[in-house]
Amino acid sequence: VDTRFLLVQLLNGLSFGGLLFFVASGFTLIFGLMRIVNLAHGGFFLVGGFVGLSTIRLTGSFILGVLAGGVAIALLGAFTERVLLRPIRGMVLPEVLLTVGLSFVLADMSLAIWGGDPVSVPLPDLLRGSFDFGLMRYPRYRLVVLGGAIVLGVVMWLLQSRTRMGAMVRAGVDDRETVAALGINIYRVFTGVFVFGAMLVGFGGVLGGAMLGLLPGEEVEILLLGLVVVIIGGLGSLPGAAIGSALVGLLDTFGRAFFPELSYFTLFAPMAIVLVFRPTGLFGRA
Amino acid sequence: MQLVQRLSLTQRVQVVLLVVFLGAGVAAPYVLPPFYVSILSLSLVFGMFALSINLLAGYAGLVSLGHAGIMATSAYGVGYVASRLGGGVGQQLTTAVIAGLVVTAIFAVMAMRTSAVYFLMVTLAQGMTIWGLSMRLARITGSENGLRGVYRPEAIAPYWKYYYFCLTMVVVAAGLLWVITRSPMGLAMRGLRESETRMRMLGYNTALQKFYAFMLSGVFATASGIMYAYYNQFVSPTAAEFVTSGKGVLMAILGGVGTIAGPLIGAVIIVAIENLLSLYVTRWPTILGLLFIFAMLFWREGVMGAISVTWTKALRRLAPAEAARREHLTVGLDQAAGAPVTADASAGRHTDKTED
Repeated sequence: VDTRFLLVQLLNGLSFGGLLFFVASGFTLIFGLMRIVNLAHGGFFLVGGFVGLSTIRLTGSFILGVLAGGVAIALLGAFTERVLLRPIRGMVLPEVLLTVGLSFVLADMSLAIWGGDPVSVPLPDLLRGSFDFGLMRYPRYRLVVLGGAIVLGVVMWLLQSRTRMGAMVRAGVDDRETVAALGINIYRVFTGVFVFGAMLVGFGGVLGGAMLGLLPGEEVEILLLGLVVVIIGGLGSLPGAAIGSALVGLLDTFGRAFFPELSYFTLFAPMAIVLVFRPTGLFGRA
Repeated sequence: MQLVQRLSLTQRVQVVLLVVFLGAGVAAPYVLPPFYVSILSLSLVFGMFALSINLLAGYAGLVSLGHAGIMATSAYGVGYVASRLGGGVGQQLTTAVIAGLVVTAIFAVMAMRTSAVYFLMVTLAQGMTIWGLSMRLARITGSENGLRGVYRPEAIAPYWKYYYFCLTMVVVAAGLLWVITRSPMGLAMRGLRESETRMRMLGYNTALQKFYAFMLSGVFATASGIMYAYYNQFVSPTAAEFVTSGKGVLMAILGGVGTIAGPLIGAVIIVAIENLLSLYVTRWPTILGLLFIFAMLFWREGVMGAISVTWTKALRRLAPAEAARREHLTVGLDQAAGAPVTADASAGRHTDKTED
């Protein structure tokens, strides 16, 4: 196998991991604070992508499309958290299972509205073409997504460690009751985090729509990859989500390149190993 | 006569209902047209599937979202031998059972040290891995084209014989479940649901308990896969879909988790809606999703929960002493998660929340 092929696969894996970070970071943040596993996260991704696509078709602006995807899913997230999840707050299984139902509805409605043919989000000229590394050329857009994910990671880390809001979230992760007793409106923090996580996956949907294309049914695969990321990295951990995303991106890409028929196994095996030795993930807490 | 007097009023009613429903089940092919009998057969197939999910969810408090993976593996076992190898019934069944149980064992080992939400995510990922394999391992599964050329064995080929085959399987399974859930092992499983920490303190190896429970549940899921393969006489990745697992969970919840009749009632409801409604409505997954959402918001105890509440109220007038003893018997999804107890049917039950 030549070096160029390996390097391209490496970048493919890392940029795909970057996309996964948009999915997994919100997912893990929501879980860390609210103990809700949002299984509609894949559906959020899909709908976000489609809303972005329609916006780009209408306005011709990629940036507007990404923003529209994020805002639409943020609103959907607000509705989900305020209206659907609020009445069953604290009932662990009903909360999760409700999001299963939501994901069915979202996928089926996407199919009804946008049809069952795969479509791709068009890129602006600026992001098309490739970057010349000397040794080889590589698609510019994938590098942008990877860069975007790194920026997002740094911003989220700064938000969490340096701001008052981040302190509230971290405190909420550790002990919700005490935070509430200190006079902080923890419910508003819940909604904020849920909406923020939803917005991120909405962005991810549009970015991913330009990278992988959009197709109802894809939400299950995105959800699976997101789950594997947080199972490996540890639910609720931001560094876990970052490392897990990179790892899963690489595993999936190399798996597809070398063992196309068994590509799911390249995800399954590491997940199994992590679970057997560290049931709460590499960075997770019990 | 003495035996009858020793039974409580509730038990007497249960025996009567059991006889009535069994009688109706046996009589069905004589009175219903083939189409409805066939829908009943499908309800029994999914009833078996829902029973297997319920064994984990209702008794051990572990909701699996990947059971379709087990059912599909066993169905593919039948399908692969029948369609690719041309093997007979014996070989089909052996392959299905071995494949189903091996996959169950792998799932169980991976999941046995996790609980609640983690368990749910792990099983979901497992189930989707099987789905991914069913799409990609085309040499074995035929990918989206599926496996054709699966035929029912001679003895159960006509629709009504197949129905009786399903009925027998489900009745036997329900009987086994009744025994299992009342055995020391079943009680230990309930202990897991109520408080895993406490069970560990008492010296139980909770991981091993979960492994056993998962394996038992896998036996029923494997059986449902065999029934499923012979129902459709065709196996495709649909069997392994996330929606299929979700449907099974919804059936168990709608009927009432932690009961034996509940999942069967839930299966009849969902299969009936799916088959009768899809003649008129094309957006079936949306309906299923909305049902899921409404069930979680307003109907968490399911049909059996509602019946139990109503019956307890009726008992207060008929037999007050017995009503008092019943107060703590109802089980719902809320308790399964060790969540705060709110429903009035659950008054008197104490749950601890030390594990959150």
